[in-house]
Amino acid sequence: MKQTQNESHTAVIELRHVDKFFGSLHVLKDISLSVQKGEVLVIIGPSGSGKSTLCRTINRLEGIDAGEIIIDGVPMPEEGKELANLRAQIGMVFQSFNLFSHRTILDNVCLAPMDVLKVPRKEAREKALSLLERVGVQDQAHKVPAQLSGGQQQRVAIARALAMNPKAILFDEPTSALDPEMIGEVLDVMTELAREGMTMVIVTHEMNFAKNVADRVIFMDAGSILEEGKPEDFFAAPKTQRARDFLGKL
Amino acid sequence: MSISELLTEYGDKYVQALFTTWQLTAVSFLLALLIGIVITVMRISPVLPLRMAADFYVQIFRNIPGAALLILLVYALPYLNVVLSYYMCVLIATTLIPSAFCSEYLIAGMNTIGPGQIEAARSLGMTFLQIIRNVILPQAVRSSVLPMTNLLVATMLTTALASQVPLNPRDLTGIVSYINTHAVGGVTAFVISAALYAGTAVLIGQLGSLLDRKVRILR
Ligand SMILES: Nc1ncnc2c1ncn2[C@@H]1O[C@H](COP(=O)(O)OP(=O)(O)OP(=O)(O)O)[C@@H](O)[C@H]1O
Ligand SMILES: [Mg+2]
Repeated sequence: MKQTQNESHTAVIELRHVDKFFGSLHVLKDISLSVQKGEVLVIIGPSGSGKSTLCRTINRLEGIDAGEIIIDGVPMPEEGKELANLRAQIGMVFQSFNLFSHRTILDNVCLAPMDVLKVPRKEAREKALSLLERVGVQDQAHKVPAQLSGGQQQRVAIARALAMNPKAILFDEPTSALDPEMIGEVLDVMTELAREGMTMVIVTHEMNFAKNVADRVIFMDAGSILEEGKPEDFFAAPKTQRARDFLGKL
Repeated sequence: MSISELLTEYGDKYVQALFTTWQLTAVSFLLALLIGIVITVMRISPVLPLRMAADFYVQIFRNIPGAALLILLVYALPYLNVVLSYYMCVLIATTLIPSAFCSEYLIAGMNTIGPGQIEAARSLGMTFLQIIRNVILPQAVRSSVLPMTNLLVATMLTTALASQVPLNPRDLTGIVSYINTHAVGGVTAFVISAALYAGTAVLIGQLGSLLDRKVRILR
């Protein structure tokens, strides 16, 4: 297995020997990984293999028990204001959208830029409107999340992450909660982002999307990275039996 | 005396008493809301001693009878060289008890917020206080309008404690004892006060459901 070099200077996200336990359950086992600027990394693996946990440790929604996480050259601090500052640089898109249900779509996108980055209201609103247009939900700006379809909500969630000008965006199964007819519209937005050079880490079960959009795929099983490679190599000829089994079942 | 005789004789006193009750209720309730919010933020803060102190506060004031608290304030505080006016003693009692319930309702309101929204707020770089202000409190407040309406009514009823101390002007309960020491009002004197309490409660209930319909969060 070829491990990506850890000392690269262009790494936006870097994990060094990260271990994570839930009680006695060893969920992440000595994970080392780096994501370069503009790279699209897709994480696949069976249920319970630790994909979500890996994603969530990157912006410390989950703490880690050993190792180091470095964001654009800066080690992730334990907590407090500095952690918040570093988190603001990494966007996250969740399976269940997690929009703020009491605020309008526009407010959902403006809120953090105004309150965290101190962007003036007018500027934040203009930017939010242009992002909403980019993801195709500008007509919904004054509704609240519950009035939107799942696909629309997820596109708003992507706009909300983009509004922070993040250095990278993490996606944890962004289309798994969607009705099949809405998956395409979200994947299209993500494909567009990838094309524009956004650094992305994506946990997904959409293998066609992974083949087309990923620069690199990692395959996880039982808390370890078993395999890693270019999508054309990985999908055509997985090296491990576990990966062959996994791809065979799809 | 009949109701009409009582009203001719003491009508203005009743009006004054109604306003006293309303004023005491409004001031207590607003203070209770403020204290309740602060206590609630402490109860969910990451700092253990703050959480413990706030939980203790709620346990105490949720469970102490109003009369007992008033007696402590009036008779025990002077031993600590703290002498408060009767009005202050009543106000403190009718604020602290509702503040504990206010916190309980806010915590219940918070439980309606999906944990995912808090994670989203954290991932956007918000600090604890920013999350409280932008996500948690607004939703908790907006989803607890109905229990808060009930709390406002309960606060009003608690202000009847004012009748236990000499207060001028008197509240709606105090006026009944006043009338009965000056004339033979009997139970009729109380019926008028009861009607004024009940009327206020109905009004509060109506306004509460209007407000609830207006601010309810679509989920
Ligand atoms: N908060 C938690 N407490 C205890 N155990 C947890 C917690 N979160 C996850 N786990 C466990 O950690 C392991 C990895 O979970 P994780 O959610 O990262 O897997 P996953 O690869 O994302 O799976 P899926 O494809 O089902 O989303 C699983 O065994 C899971 O049960
Ligand atoms: Mg998962």
